[in-house]
Amino acid sequence: MDLFFLSLVIIILGGALPLSIGRRFAAMKTAAVAGIGAGCLLGCIDSGFKLSQTARFSASFDYLKTFSLLFQMDSLSAFFLVIIFAISFVATVYSYHYMNSPGKSFRTSVNYFFFSLLIVSMALVVTAGNMIAFMLSWEIMSLSSFFLVIYNYQTAENRRAGYLYLVFSHIGAMSILTAFGILYGYTGSFGFAGAGSITDTGKILIFIFAFIGFGSKAGVFPFHVWLPHAHPAAPSHISAVMSGVMIKVGVYGILRIYSILHFHTPLFGEMVLIAGMVSGILGVVYALGQSDLKRLLAYSSVENIGIILIGIGIGMIGVSSNQPVMAVLGFAGGLLHVMNHSLFKSLLFLGAGIVLQKTGTRSIEALGGLFKNMKISGATFLIGSLAICGLPPFNGFVGEFLIYLGGFKGVSLEKTSFALSLLGIVSLAVIGGLSLACFSRVVGIVFQGEPRSPAAVGRDEKGPTMLISMLVPAAFCILIGVFPQVFIRSAVKAVSSLELGYGRIPLEPFMEMTGNITRAAMLFLAVLFLVLALRTFLYRNKPVSRSGTWGCGFTQPTVKMQYTGSSYAASILDFFRPVAPRLEDHPLIRGRFPQKTHYRSSIHDIAELHMGNLIIRPILFLFERLHWIQHGDIHLYIGYILLAIIVLLFFV
Amino acid sequence: MESFILWIMAILLAPFFSGVILKVKAFFGGKKGPPVLINYYTLIKLFQKGSVYSTSTTVVFKLGPVVSLCAAVIALMFLPIAGRQPLLSFNGDVIFVLYLLGLGRFFTIAAAMDTASPFEGMGAAREAYFPIICEATMFMILVLFVKLTGSLSLSAYFAGSSPMEIWHAAGPQMVFVIIALFIVLLTENARVPVDDPATHLELTMIHEVMVLDHSGPDFALIELGAFYKLFFYATMVAGLVFPFDLGSPIAGFGLFWLSLLIIYKVVGVTESVMARYRMDLVPKFILTSFALAFFAAIITLEFIQ
Repeated sequence: MDLFFLSLVIIILGGALPLSIGRRFAAMKTAAVAGIGAGCLLGCIDSGFKLSQTARFSASFDYLKTFSLLFQMDSLSAFFLVIIFAISFVATVYSYHYMNSPGKSFRTSVNYFFFSLLIVSMALVVTAGNMIAFMLSWEIMSLSSFFLVIYNYQTAENRRAGYLYLVFSHIGAMSILTAFGILYGYTGSFGFAGAGSITDTGKILIFIFAFIGFGSKAGVFPFHVWLPHAHPAAPSHISAVMSGVMIKVGVYGILRIYSILHFHTPLFGEMVLIAGMVSGILGVVYALGQSDLKRLLAYSSVENIGIILIGIGIGMIGVSSNQPVMAVLGFAGGLLHVMNHSLFKSLLFLGAGIVLQKTGTRSIEALGGLFKNMKISGATFLIGSLAICGLPPFNGFVGEFLIYLGGFKGVSLEKTSFALSLLGIVSLAVIGGLSLACFSRVVGIVFQGEPRSPAAVGRDEKGPTMLISMLVPAAFCILIGVFPQVFIRSAVKAVSSLELGYGRIPLEPFMEMTGNITRAAMLFLAVLFLVLALRTFLYRNKPVSRSGTWGCGFTQPTVKMQYTGSSYAASILDFFRPVAPRLEDHPLIRGRFPQKTHYRSSIHDIAELHMGNLIIRPILFLFERLHWIQHGDIHLYIGYILLAIIVLLFFV
Repeated sequence: MESFILWIMAILLAPFFSGVILKVKAFFGGKKGPPVLINYYTLIKLFQKGSVYSTSTTVVFKLGPVVSLCAAVIALMFLPIAGRQPLLSFNGDVIFVLYLLGLGRFFTIAAAMDTASPFEGMGAAREAYFPIICEATMFMILVLFVKLTGSLSLSAYFAGSSPMEIWHAAGPQMVFVIIALFIVLLTENARVPVDDPATHLELTMIHEVMVLDHSGPDFALIELGAFYKLFFYATMVAGLVFPFDLGSPIAGFGLFWLSLLIIYKVVGVTESVMARYRMDLVPKFILTSFALAFFAAIITLEFIQ
C-alpha cells in the first residue's frame, strides 16, 4: 500500500502548493496540474498492477488514540481505484487550459485544493476497511465536492445547487450511518467482518438504509434530485469527475454492502433491478427534455447508473437463484459499464466544457454547426455519444452486451425471476433506443446544422491540453469496444472479490465472448473500410459541387427554421407525459396586429416536482410545531444538556 | 461455401424483391407499373452520377450512407438464408445485429441533422422515436425465442429445422410473433401505414425526407442499405411463416425464394389497401406489435415449465 499512500500524498501536495502561490496564475496552475496529475498517474499505474494480482493489501492507522483507521485493497477496490485515478488524471490535464481566468487566481487555487481532496477521499472511500475510515473519507468526499460545486458562487442558481447538494449528501450520509449503526448494534465492532453472521431482518434493514444512502450519492431515482443541479454548476472538469467517478463510489458502496452482508435473498436483486429500470428509463427521458447541455448530461448519468444497477440486479438475482453464469455476467457487465460510463461521460462533460468556454452558453438551442470549426471536439463528442448509446464497435456496447447475456440467462428461470429478467431486458432495449434519440439530438443540434445564434458563429477550439484530454478517453472508448479482453478480465476479477461463493471464476467463457466481440467489431471495421473504398471508387472523376440545402422549393431559408432541440424531442416526450409533465408558457395571440409573443416550455422531473409537497412541507410543518423548544435563552439550552445527561445516566 | 453463395445471392437479389412491391402496388392502382428490374436501373443510373453537397454539411453527411449500408450488409451475414447456416454466428449475435442496425440509424439521423433542413430534422425526430418501440418488440420476441430454444443467435431460430421446432413448442404464440414482426418490418423499413415513400409531400415522410439532400452514388448506397434491411426482416418473417424443412436442398431453396416473394407481395398488398396513419397514431400502431409479443411471451411462461 506504500505506493498508494505515496500517490495520495503527492496529490494532496499538488493541491496544497497552489494555495501558497495563489497570485501567480500560470505558475500556480502548472504546479497544481503537475502535482495532482503525477499523483493520479502513479496511483493509476499502481492500482492497475494490484488489479492484476490476487493478493489483498491492508494498512491501519490509529486515529485520536481511540479508533483505528483500516484501509484494505482487494480487486474490487483496485478496479474502482483505476477508474478514479485515470479519470481524475484526464480531468486535471484538461483543467490547465480550461481554468483560464487569471482574475480568479486565488479561487482557482482553492478549487485545485478541494479537487485534490476529492480525489484522495474517493480513493480512501473505496479502500476503507472499517466504518470509521469509511465515514470519515465519505464526509470529506461530500464536503470537498460541495466546495467544488459552488466555485461560481456569485450566481444564486449555483448557491442553490450547492445547498441542495449539501442537504442531499447529508441525508445520504445519515442513512449510511444508520445502516452502520444497526450493523454496529449487532456486531459491536467497527469492522465489516462480522456482518455475515447477523440476523436476516438486520441484514435487510442494513441493506435498505445503505441502498438509500449510496443511491442518493449515485443518483438513483428518486434520490437524484441534486444531481442535475449540482453537476452543471461545477466547472466542467469537476462535473466530469463528479459524474464520471464520484457517483460510482455510490455503486461501490452498494456492491460492498452486498458483499459483506453475504445474504443472497432475491429481495435485494429485485430491489436493485427495479430501481435500475426506473432510473434508467426516467433518467434518459428527462435528459431528452433538457435544453441545458450539462443538465442533460447529468440526467444521462442517472440513466447510466440505472443500466449499471440493472446489471448488478441481474447479478444478484443470478446469485439468489443459483445461476453462477448469470450472476457473474450481470456483475461483470455492471462493473464494466461503471468503467465505460466513467470514460464516455467524462469525455462528454469535457466536450460540453469546451463548448461552454468557447461559446459562453450551455443552451443547446443557441448552438449549432460547431463541428465545422471544432473538428477534434466534434469528433470526440460524436465518439462519446455513440459509445453512450451502447452502439458497437464502442465500449458502451460491451458492457450492455454482458448485461444482456446475463439477463437472457435469467429467462430460463421461474416466475418472478423470469418476469424481472424480461423487464430488465426490455427496459435495457428501451433505454438504448431513447439514449440514441437523446444523443443524436445533442450531436445534431449542437455540432451539426447551422449556428442558431451569434454565440455559435465562427468558434475555434484552442487549448491543446483540453483537446488531448478528450482524445485519450475517446481512444479508450474505441479500444475497449474492439479489444475488450483485458477490461472484461479485470471486471471479472473485481467480481471475484465480492465473495459470491464461487471460488475462482473461470475466465474461459468470458474470453470466448470477448473473442466474438473483437471479431464482430473487426468485421464491422473491415466492411466499413470496403464500403468506403467502394465509395471512393464510385466518386472517381465525378462532378461534385456544393450548394445550399434543398429547401423543398422555398428559396429564403433562415437558420431559425432549423429543427430545434425541443421540437426534436417533443413527440417522444408526449409519450412519457405522465412521468415527464411539460409546462408551457405561451400567451395567446390576440387582435389584428398582435404584439410580440414568446413560447417557453420545460420538462419537469416528477421527483423534484413532488419533493416539495410530499416531503419538505410535512417536515417543515413538524418542525414548526417543535419551534417552542428553540427558545433562544442560553440558560435553557444548558438545562437541556443537563437533562439529557441525567436521562442518559438512568438509561445507559 | 453454401452460406457464402446464399449471402451473395441475397446481396444481388434484394433490389429485385423490392421491385416486386412496386409491381403489386401498380397492379392495385390499375397501372402497368415500372419494370421489375427498376431498382437495378436506378442504382446504375445513380452510380454514374456525381453529387451536390449542401454547404451546411460536414463529413458526417458522407458517412451516413456508408455506415447504414455496412450495418445492413453485416446483418445479412448473420442471417440464415433459406434455412441454411449463416455465414457467421455466435452466442449473442442477435444483440450485435440489432445494435448495429441502431448504429446505422444513428448515422442516418446524424446525416439528416447535418443539412440544417427543417424537413430533415422532422424526419430525423420521427426516425429516432418509432424504432424505440420496435426495439422493445424485438427484444420481447427474443425473450420468447430464448425461452423456447435456450440459445441466443439467429441461426438457432431460423436455420434448419429450428423454425418448425419453435412452431411445435409454441404454435399459437407464433401467430402473434409473426404479426408483431411484420409490424416491425413495416416500421423499420418505412412502409405504409407508418411512412409513405411515394408521397409528394416531404412533411408526411420519415425515411425519404431524411435523405432529401443525398444524391448520386451516396443515394445509391442508401437505397442499397434499405433493400438489405427489408430483405433481413422479410427473411425472418418468411422463415416463421413457412417453417417447413423439406429435406432436399433444392426444394428448400425453391420454397424459400417463393415464400420470400409472397412476403414481399403481402407488403405490397398492405401498402395498397391501407392508408398511412396520422403521425400521432403511428406509435399506437407499433405498440400493438409490442403488446402482441408481450402476450406471446407471457402465455409461453404458463405453458412451458
